[in-house]
Amino acid sequence: MAVEDKLKIELGKQGVFVTTVNEIYNWGRKNSVWPLQFGLACCAIEMIATTMARYDLARFGAEVFRPSPRQADLMIISGTITKKMAPQVVRLYNQMAEPRYVIAMGACAISGGPFKQGYNVLKGIDRYIPVDVHIPGCPPRPEALIHAFMTLQAKIDAQPLTGTERPRHLDAAAMSEFPVPTQGAHDLEPPANRLVWPLPAPVASGENCG
Amino acid sequence: MKSTEEILALIHAALPAANVELVLNPSPCAQHSLRVAPADAFAVASFLRESDELALDYCSNVTGVDWPDKEITEKVKVTQLVDGEEKIVEETIKRIEPGYLESVYHLYSIKRAHEAIAGPVVLRMRTINRTDQVQLPSLTFVWRAAEFQEREVFDLFGIVFTGHPDLRRILMWDEFEDHPMRRDYVDPDDYEYEPTPHDEVLKRAEQQSKPTGVTA
Amino acid sequence: MASSPYFSLAILFLAALGFGLAPLGLAVAWAKLVSPAKPNAIKNAIYECGLESKGDAWVQFRSAYYLYAIIFLIFDVEAVFLVPFAVAFTGLGISACVAMLVFVLLLAEGLAWAWAKGVLTWA
Repeated sequence: MAVEDKLKIELGKQGVFVTTVNEIYNWGRKNSVWPLQFGLACCAIEMIATTMARYDLARFGAEVFRPSPRQADLMIISGTITKKMAPQVVRLYNQMAEPRYVIAMGACAISGGPFKQGYNVLKGIDRYIPVDVHIPGCPPRPEALIHAFMTLQAKIDAQPLTGTERPRHLDAAAMSEFPVPTQGAHDLEPPANRLVWPLPAPVASGENCG
Repeated sequence: MKSTEEILALIHAALPAANVELVLNPSPCAQHSLRVAPADAFAVASFLRESDELALDYCSNVTGVDWPDKEITEKVKVTQLVDGEEKIVEETIKRIEPGYLESVYHLYSIKRAHEAIAGPVVLRMRTINRTDQVQLPSLTFVWRAAEFQEREVFDLFGIVFTGHPDLRRILMWDEFEDHPMRRDYVDPDDYEYEPTPHDEVLKRAEQQSKPTGVTA
Repeated sequence: MASSPYFSLAILFLAALGFGLAPLGLAVAWAKLVSPAKPNAIKNAIYECGLESKGDAWVQFRSAYYLYAIIFLIFDVEAVFLVPFAVAFTGLGISACVAMLVFVLLLAEGLAWAWAKGVLTWA
């Protein structure tokens, strides 16, 4: 049962702390997000800087970078994903325990960035796995990563535990295995997971001009 | 550092039978190179490395060049009989110059480093064509540093280095079949979405959305 | 039984066992009852940096690693004893210094012996 905000504040003034299961559950989740310890390219340097004393990601409960996906909740895609690396990234994501989140850090992780025209660069990791927060930048500054992290925390905090909006790990029918692409003769197969990355609506020519 | 001509003269003096020629670079940098016939490559390379005068013991870079088939249009003056009269007529002749692949080695001398001011000695080799006869001798046994770079050239250009100890793809995955740095490489069509598509990307986006008709 | 002098020890032992097992039991119960289990084939596969695991985990490796580990102990033990010695150095007499030198010499002799035997050559 939800408590009205005003009542909660009033009770708080009287020294009574009231919460709901939903709130305390999400409070626990959002303050113990452990990232997976891996970096892909130059964005990783900024990610490392974020964890160090000057920017101190530990303030948000994310100081423990886990070297195994079994113990990690958050995957920070920090850098360019080459097509040679993409299956490994997707497999690691699959090996993480639920609930799991993904931050796509930097232009390359979002869209391929400056290497978009490259023959060996994946044009954005969200072709294969669902991304929670995108950070633009090349590379984004540590503040941007912290902001993305706080955005993720806000997202976790706002999630109801029941209903259609509930997190994936509480939904028995939700997709949990994301197919790992295979490396084919000319490209990754399939080039995108259509369940995660539906084909966008056709664009009428001239519509985007001006 | 000796000039390329001097190096060529040294090679000719030591290996009179070797088929090496000078390739002049007409640009201001005048970085001339030596083109060596694949059959003589190993002997010439060993000489360049072992010779006391040159001692080119450091191979800094191996790369490839793709020369696609060239269509050459030439205007030739031909004498023809027109209405019983001999006339000189200009005719355009088109011919196709077959392409080839080239491997390029940049060599320096560490032993004689103080003399190396004029840049690398450039050694080149040509394949016969771009399709089936793309073998070149590997120079890994002369310069160990060439091993990975020859693998890269094999990966991206498709030059097969005979005698290479471990010729596998190095950048692309093993199942990959194309050679991305070749001029005629067509990269996979996976630019399906851009927020503001234009020109080529817009064309591709429209093409892609047509056949299936699937929308988001 | 309660009169046995070991009775209190047995009680303590049971309590200690309880301290050890209770968290384990709680963890198992927590995992069974509360945690959302969403297993899949990839998740249950062996973890190997995202690559598919290939081959057998039973591999042989060089005994030289073992020798290196043993030689590392020389420096390790040396440091363990030298640090407190160095801290208290000003208050120690000549005999302590000689004893320490003998100790260091013994360890150095071990290293010299290993060196002479060719253990440090990686071939």
